[in-house]
Amino acid sequence: MAEAPAVELDHVTKTFTDFTAVEDLTLAIDDGHFFALLGPSGCGKTTTLRMVGGFEEPTSGTIRLHGENVTGLKPYRRLVNTVFQSYALFPHLTVFENVAFGLRRRDVSEVEVRKRVGEVLDLVQLTGREHRKPRQLSGGQQQRVAVARALVNHPRVLLLDEPLGALDLKLRKEMQIELKRIQQEVGITFVHVTHDQEEAMTMADTIAVMHQGRIERMGAPTEIYEDPRSAFVAGFLGASNLMGGTVDGDRGTIALSAGGVVYADPKHIPAGVREVLVGVRPEKVSLFLPGDETAPRNRIRGKVTDASFIGVSTHYLVHCPQVGEMTVVVQNLDDRRFSLGEEVVAAWNPDHTFGVAG
Amino acid sequence: MTAGVAAPPVLSPDGTERAARRRRRVPYLLLAPGLVFLLVLYVVPLIALFRTGLQSGNLVSGYEFTWEWGNFLQVFTTYRPQLLRSLLYSVSATVVTLLLGYPLAYAIAFRTGRWKNLFLVLLLVPFLIPFLLRTLAWRTILADQGLVVEAMKAIGLLPEQGGRLLATGWAVLAGLVYSFLPFMVLPIYVALEKIDRSLLEAAGDLYSKPSTAFWKVTWPLSLPGVISGTLLTAIPAAGDYISVQLLGNPQETMMGNVIENKFLSVIDYPAAAAISITLMLAIVIAVIFYVRSVGTEELVA
Repeated sequence: MAEAPAVELDHVTKTFTDFTAVEDLTLAIDDGHFFALLGPSGCGKTTTLRMVGGFEEPTSGTIRLHGENVTGLKPYRRLVNTVFQSYALFPHLTVFENVAFGLRRRDVSEVEVRKRVGEVLDLVQLTGREHRKPRQLSGGQQQRVAVARALVNHPRVLLLDEPLGALDLKLRKEMQIELKRIQQEVGITFVHVTHDQEEAMTMADTIAVMHQGRIERMGAPTEIYEDPRSAFVAGFLGASNLMGGTVDGDRGTIALSAGGVVYADPKHIPAGVREVLVGVRPEKVSLFLPGDETAPRNRIRGKVTDASFIGVSTHYLVHCPQVGEMTVVVQNLDDRRFSLGEEVVAAWNPDHTFGVAG
Repeated sequence: MTAGVAAPPVLSPDGTERAARRRRRVPYLLLAPGLVFLLVLYVVPLIALFRTGLQSGNLVSGYEFTWEWGNFLQVFTTYRPQLLRSLLYSVSATVVTLLLGYPLAYAIAFRTGRWKNLFLVLLLVPFLIPFLLRTLAWRTILADQGLVVEAMKAIGLLPEQGGRLLATGWAVLAGLVYSFLPFMVLPIYVALEKIDRSLLEAAGDLYSKPSTAFWKVTWPLSLPGVISGTLLTAIPAAGDYISVQLLGNPQETMMGNVIENKFLSVIDYPAAAAISITLMLAIVIAVIFYVRSVGTEELVA
């Protein structure tokens, strides 16, 4: 028998008095994975995490950790630890005592406590700050203490509830890389809740996109980005140009409602549906002058209505009579820039077309 | 170059510097009314009281300033029983108030949900009635033929013959606890209310049972409230004399009664002043030791 997944949710539903936060959720997270629960606020991702941590009980369904049924067990009886959104560091205790808190509750010997706290503070690069109080630390340092306080207990699963939400952009980027490094170093399962799609894609091996209490799409970041399979995921995970159309028999050709056709790789178009939305990511589209035969097969004519130069790329807004506004992101590789009002052809490779049920 | 490098930065002549100076004065101006108030109504009378304490003489021939330190010493000789009784009542009233008040504050802060404000109002309702009336009401409650005494006799807590509460230390204790309970509950409630609930979840996540979480997180974080509450109870209780007068035994008085008696009945101002000052100093010293031993600097900083 294969090893049991680190975290398993089996038909879990959580209903609060007036709404359903999580609906019939079934999910398995493999051991050692960096897993991200991604979704807008109110999608049920935090509730899901809190049920794994034991802070909420599911209304129905079963939660297993490494094969053991933990449904109904109190948080202090589960071998998981949590990094809280606001860090929840104990303000009256030093960094050392904050980190040692869990070990002391389990009667670990003083020598062992010193050794393990020292190791974990080294891991999060906070050696030398043992005797500070949390309020004497910067936001990023507090964040590291929170991670250290959870990791020192050697949990088999670490739960992170929007741990980077309170940090500024630059620090957030640094901590994303830092957390990823820590996860690879300790090799345990991380379950990370976030509403930031870039954060999820930077860090996670697997992303589950949640929407209204359900998982809309789950997979590796590239996989769900390239083939989102639902309009919600396409819109939430990066930007998309979506166009309504009708599938031709072989799913390789889609007739746009407003005229014209879009070519696609049939495996990226849902089977068994006629009405679809076809989409393409802005960075997959290039601009050409009308009549340029080097353009890829999918071609839509339009007029440049806006161009913003942002350093590495230029963002164009192209008004296309067939599909409306299209966003096109062009890397600034050469000097050719299109100006406002210029007639262009927006073109992309059929491999980059994806379809979602309309 | 004509301008000197070391010349002070030239501020615009239209009064930027004057504005800065005025800004620096603002905190002192804001403090001034309070400082003047304290100086005129607190420091000056205190010095006058201290001087009075060093006078000697009697009511008929008048009092003179003679560096009479004996007035101060008599607190520890003549009035030692009253001093000790004051401290005993004050400490025991504080302990009982804390034991009753902490769970009450905890329940209001954590368990009453949307009824929280109602409970807070209920706690304060007795304050709408004057202190004297409230204490007088206790005379009725604890009266010899009253319900409480009869009930306690029935279950054997008081002897059938001659068992009473009024005019005993227990009645004084009851009166003090009742009077100061809100002063204990409110600061503790405020301290508990401020505790971030996620800290308790974090404690649970880190293998603490609810009782451990309380002693390791909630209790230490509520200590500032406990300290304020105990001080707000212990200090006035040590100087209280109404409770003894109305509920206690006239033979077992507190320092407050001695002072009242010296000032208003015997008209021995020097003795009254000296006893007041001594009691005040005793309380200040006790408070300093108390606060130091609990170590609030760490918590409130």
